[in-house]
Amino acid sequence: MIKIYLLSFCFLFILQVGFAQQNNAKLISGNFQQATIAQFVSDIESKTDLHFYYDASQFDSLKITLQVNNQPLDTVLEKAFRNTDFHFSVSSRQVFLTKGRAVVTELALGFMVANTPGKIPVHRPNVVIAEYNEEKDKKMPDATTENKVYQIGIKTNEPLSGNAILSGYIRDIKSGEGVAGSRIFIGEPKTGVSTDQFGYFTMTLPRGKHILNIRAMGMRDTRRQINLYTDGKLNIEVQEQINSLKEVKISGDKIANVRSTQMGTTKLDIKTIKEIPAVFGEADVLKAVLTLPGVTSVGEATTGFNVRGGAADENLILLDGATIYNPAHFFGFFAAFNPDLVKDIQLYKSSIPEKFGGRLSSVLEITNREGNKKNFTGSIGVGLLTGRLNLEGPIVSDKTSFIFGARTSYSDWLLHLLPEAYKHSSASFNDFNLGISHQIDDKNNLYLTGYLSNDKFKLNSDTAYAYSNKNLVLKWKHNYNDKLYSVISAGIDRYQYSISSSANAVNAFDLGYHIAQNNFRADFTYLLSPKHTISFGVSSILYKIDPGTFDPVGTASLVAQQIVPTEKALESAVYIGDKYDVTDKFSVSAGVRYNIYSYLGPQTIDNYAPNLPKGPATVLDSTTYKSGKIIHTYQAPDFRLSARYMLNDNLSLKAGYNTLHQFIHLLTNSTSISPTDVYKLSDPNIKPEHGDQVSLGIFNNSKSNTIEMSVEVYYKRLRNYLDYKSGAVLLLNQHVEQDVINTQGKAYGAEFLLKKTTGKLNGFISYTYSRTFLKQDDPNAGELINKGNYYAANYDKPNIFNFTGNYRFTHRYSVSLDMTYSTGRPITLPIAKYEYGGSDRVLYSDRNAYRIPDYFRSDFSLNIEGNHRVHQRTHNTWNVGVYNLTGRQNAYSTFFTEQSGVISGYKLSVFANPIPFINYNIRF
Amino acid sequence: MFKMKYLQIIVFGLLLGSFFSCKKPYTPAAVTSTNSYLVVEGVINIGADSTIIKLSRTVNVSAVVTKNPLAGAAITVESDKNDIYTLNEIRRGYYTVVGLNLNITKKYHLRIKTADNQEYISDFVSAQITPPIDSIGSIATGNGLQLYTNTHDPNNNTHYYRWEYTETWQFHSKYLSLYMSDGKEIIPRPADKQVYDCFNTDTSSTILLGSSAKLTQDVINQAPIIFIPSTAEKLETKYSIMLRQYALSSDAYNFWVNLKKNTEQLGSIFDAQPSNINGNIHNVANASEIVIGYISASQVQTKRVFIANSQLPSNWKTVYPYDCEQDTTYYASPGSGYPAVANNLIPLPTLNIPIVPFVVEKGPSAGSGFIASSNECVDCTIRGTKTQPAYWK
Repeated sequence: MIKIYLLSFCFLFILQVGFAQQNNAKLISGNFQQATIAQFVSDIESKTDLHFYYDASQFDSLKITLQVNNQPLDTVLEKAFRNTDFHFSVSSRQVFLTKGRAVVTELALGFMVANTPGKIPVHRPNVVIAEYNEEKDKKMPDATTENKVYQIGIKTNEPLSGNAILSGYIRDIKSGEGVAGSRIFIGEPKTGVSTDQFGYFTMTLPRGKHILNIRAMGMRDTRRQINLYTDGKLNIEVQEQINSLKEVKISGDKIANVRSTQMGTTKLDIKTIKEIPAVFGEADVLKAVLTLPGVTSVGEATTGFNVRGGAADENLILLDGATIYNPAHFFGFFAAFNPDLVKDIQLYKSSIPEKFGGRLSSVLEITNREGNKKNFTGSIGVGLLTGRLNLEGPIVSDKTSFIFGARTSYSDWLLHLLPEAYKHSSASFNDFNLGISHQIDDKNNLYLTGYLSNDKFKLNSDTAYAYSNKNLVLKWKHNYNDKLYSVISAGIDRYQYSISSSANAVNAFDLGYHIAQNNFRADFTYLLSPKHTISFGVSSILYKIDPGTFDPVGTASLVAQQIVPTEKALESAVYIGDKYDVTDKFSVSAGVRYNIYSYLGPQTIDNYAPNLPKGPATVLDSTTYKSGKIIHTYQAPDFRLSARYMLNDNLSLKAGYNTLHQFIHLLTNSTSISPTDVYKLSDPNIKPEHGDQVSLGIFNNSKSNTIEMSVEVYYKRLRNYLDYKSGAVLLLNQHVEQDVINTQGKAYGAEFLLKKTTGKLNGFISYTYSRTFLKQDDPNAGELINKGNYYAANYDKPNIFNFTGNYRFTHRYSVSLDMTYSTGRPITLPIAKYEYGGSDRVLYSDRNAYRIPDYFRSDFSLNIEGNHRVHQRTHNTWNVGVYNLTGRQNAYSTFFTEQSGVISGYKLSVFANPIPFINYNIRF
Repeated sequence: MFKMKYLQIIVFGLLLGSFFSCKKPYTPAAVTSTNSYLVVEGVINIGADSTIIKLSRTVNVSAVVTKNPLAGAAITVESDKNDIYTLNEIRRGYYTVVGLNLNITKKYHLRIKTADNQEYISDFVSAQITPPIDSIGSIATGNGLQLYTNTHDPNNNTHYYRWEYTETWQFHSKYLSLYMSDGKEIIPRPADKQVYDCFNTDTSSTILLGSSAKLTQDVINQAPIIFIPSTAEKLETKYSIMLRQYALSSDAYNFWVNLKKNTEQLGSIFDAQPSNINGNIHNVANASEIVIGYISASQVQTKRVFIANSQLPSNWKTVYPYDCEQDTTYYASPGSGYPAVANNLIPLPTLNIPIVPFVVEKGPSAGSGFIASSNECVDCTIRGTKTQPAYWK
């Protein structure tokens, strides 16, 4: 094919050399309606002595509509090919029709003297690739090449005016999987869209020629040339960046930083996550989140994280749409997400889209890959404590694929190194992921996601703890037309834990806790006009929580069975939002989400005397409600506003305001989330939490979008955040409202981020100044904390500095260095001591009046890839490094305790020494 | 109960961490309080035993001595029917009154007037009957002896318990000394000057609590009291423990649990944060003043048990708390002629005590003197008393 094509060029050229140029004066008349090139040419040839030369395959999609009456040839051809990419050249009686460029029918200056025909410049590379995939183009183009002009819609030579809609999928050429979050934009007029989670996009463009620029995370930047005639589809296949030791990319696309209306949104792809050294060498999604500005945690060995002053339970953690209640394994040393399956994560901390709700601080979306639609592949990973397996492949080629991941721990060797008293303990976890995606037809896709995790630990054959997440989501994506599509999903989320002990026969017990959440949602996106993109939908969650069952175990047990009654509630919302591009420079997103929350029977609710502390003494009476009865309804709208103004191509200002409500609360009075904390639904005595946030940001890209800078400031208010009375009992408490108090909070801060996204040296530096305060000043709550004044929250760390850098020596070797500094978190310290109960004891200061020493840690890792030959059976990767390189003994906490009657202060450090790690991955 | 077990997670977390983590002494920059707060400790004893109330004030954390008794206060126990009983200060900060034998249908509280004219009262509390201790048992595990107690209330009325104990044990020093210095010379040790057999006593320093609130019957089964390592000197000869049991109201129990949480269990990974300790004592004039302590009114029930070394596994070996060795002390050291006995053993007080005489007849180390050792290896009275308690058997 290629050779023929080249030859034809030469042939055309040689032909024309022999003829002198002359004007063809004969006038032509004709009437063509949707004529093919063959019809058109033969008609003209029959009316004249002209002979046409052209490559029929290039013109197969051209339809000519033309009425001419006694016009010269030039005018006829000019009209026929106006607004197309076709050109004509007339030499004597020969007419050459070409695509892309006109054949020059005159000799180049000095041609006969110096040049030989063999050296005629021909744009070979264009030609070479253009042939690829030609057959497919006829149906729905799978545009794989940059230099071909793809004709979209029904072609016509009529002048193109008005707009048309282009839609399609952006897919990975290797796996066939949709590429979410890739950005398609054109230069003139300046407009762009991003693909949704399935890689689907739809955009309105003026008819005519465009160059589409496509930028996707982890993919090579690419362009496609189109000629848009009418509404049509274009699927674009993009190639992965082959050099796998590539630059860190934090954002879905390079100019989204500046151009999107969203702010406080960060996306990390798995490659970036894998470059961040983790404690046991296994890439950790949640540890990566902690490197982002505005995200803190109370310390190591905790996977709870705090976003812009929010509590750890104020983050909605979604794995492919499934709510994960406990995102940690093994005392928080591992995140519950298998790094071999995760595609990317996205954290929304201020511009939370209206389709999300139910949590106050942030949404963390974790997206797993779709299975490879073309080939069976897999990988095996081996670390110090865990092993991983991942398999994927097509079930029906190009239509249905699966992906499966399993991870298990073999950590008991570590426990056997412990002192005798704990040698017989055991701790283990495993998790499984299954994803199936199926393309029913062009308009319908189905996605099924399943997740199961189990954690077990046992303390020296005494008390056994276990917890488990179970999730299943089914999504159906349907395109109604080019302007409207929907994603409808239904899912079940389960979380449970149990504690049991049988060491003491009389006290042997079994404690169980269970959350079941069934949810349904329908999300629609409607492209109203080029300027308006409307999203709307409904969602509903039915909660059923068994807050605790406490049962005797064995016949000797005297444990009284205790069952805290099941709680039920329905949380529903409808939302609508509009992204409105007012002008090229100014765009606004506005949305409203209306929440309706109902606490449902059967339930018995205590009624308390108004304006008195809730306690056993103030219970007036209680009301019993029947099953299904609505006991209490809270309803409130949430508003989401954000706007962007482009000061110039590389600099934009953004502002946002949003409000959120939360109806489910984590009850914990320990510093970090522990596996046995309980979730409580809002009821008539426990109000929903709500909060609002205003934020402002400046975004700048420079050096061809390779350096990104941003500054964001925010101010946030929290209402009805739950804190606890001294000595509160939270587990198996039938009257939790008597032990909790409402606090109010405020948080503010400034976040600075500087990123370099490409080059041998890449990475990011961030600095955050933030404060978070709480206060409890309601005298009716029974107990004032710090006399009703504001006090710093546990996770209030004013200064945080993060550096993540990656240097690539060669394609096979790269090193990563991470540095983290933060102010020590607040603690409550003893201010006086006294003797009581036979020993020295301490009196504590006001809550959180002091701080632990500042935190600093640096981690280092070396990533070694096997050779890069594409065609080999397996690809190997080694990952070695050191966590906490300097071995700094960062205080996790400080505490004062009495031992043998004397008070001593202690500082507890987790990971107090440099911890080496090694990880081996094999991909097949 | 699982709360106790939960503590193990913490310890476990720590130990798991011990592979990675560490616990280091920590002394923050001077944390001081300008105030010194009143501390009230004791129980209104409704039975025949004395009521003892201890008053003190808090000191700064950096202070060397924690004891800071408050003298000169006037304390009375008062009923809600206006009965008044006055306590006497028998030593600084230590106020007592003999068996009150109170009417258990009334409620009682404490009134304290300090020397600086501040007046404090505790909330009225009901008088509580304490059921007797059923038994004190022990389990020998691989590395020590776990003592526990059992009790029950047939009326299902008590539910919350607190224990204190006093333990006493007989022990002996490492070496039996047959000689002693009278300041002038070494004389045979008379029987009444023996320093080999002694007794020692200690009191509980942790808060011991038990609850049957989650059980269908008011039964406390094997509540742990103390764990004694198998190598402890306490178990060398004979050990005795006197356990005192107090019934608590649920309020009082919460106070003690909270105090225990705040002062004995803090600082590990999943631990609760420190919280306010709310007692039931208030300054009459200033309700917001911090006063530490909770005054309940109850009986005390006591029980004593003995554990002889012969009842324990025979492979348990006591590890003597000091490094000990015997050495020769010459009247005149061979070679130098140094008068070691006269200089090192005779002058009182002495750091070395003669054990037995020795004579080396020939050779380079010929001479005579006493085998001696340091006083902590010979004199048990350094850390005990020779007086056998009256109850010892």
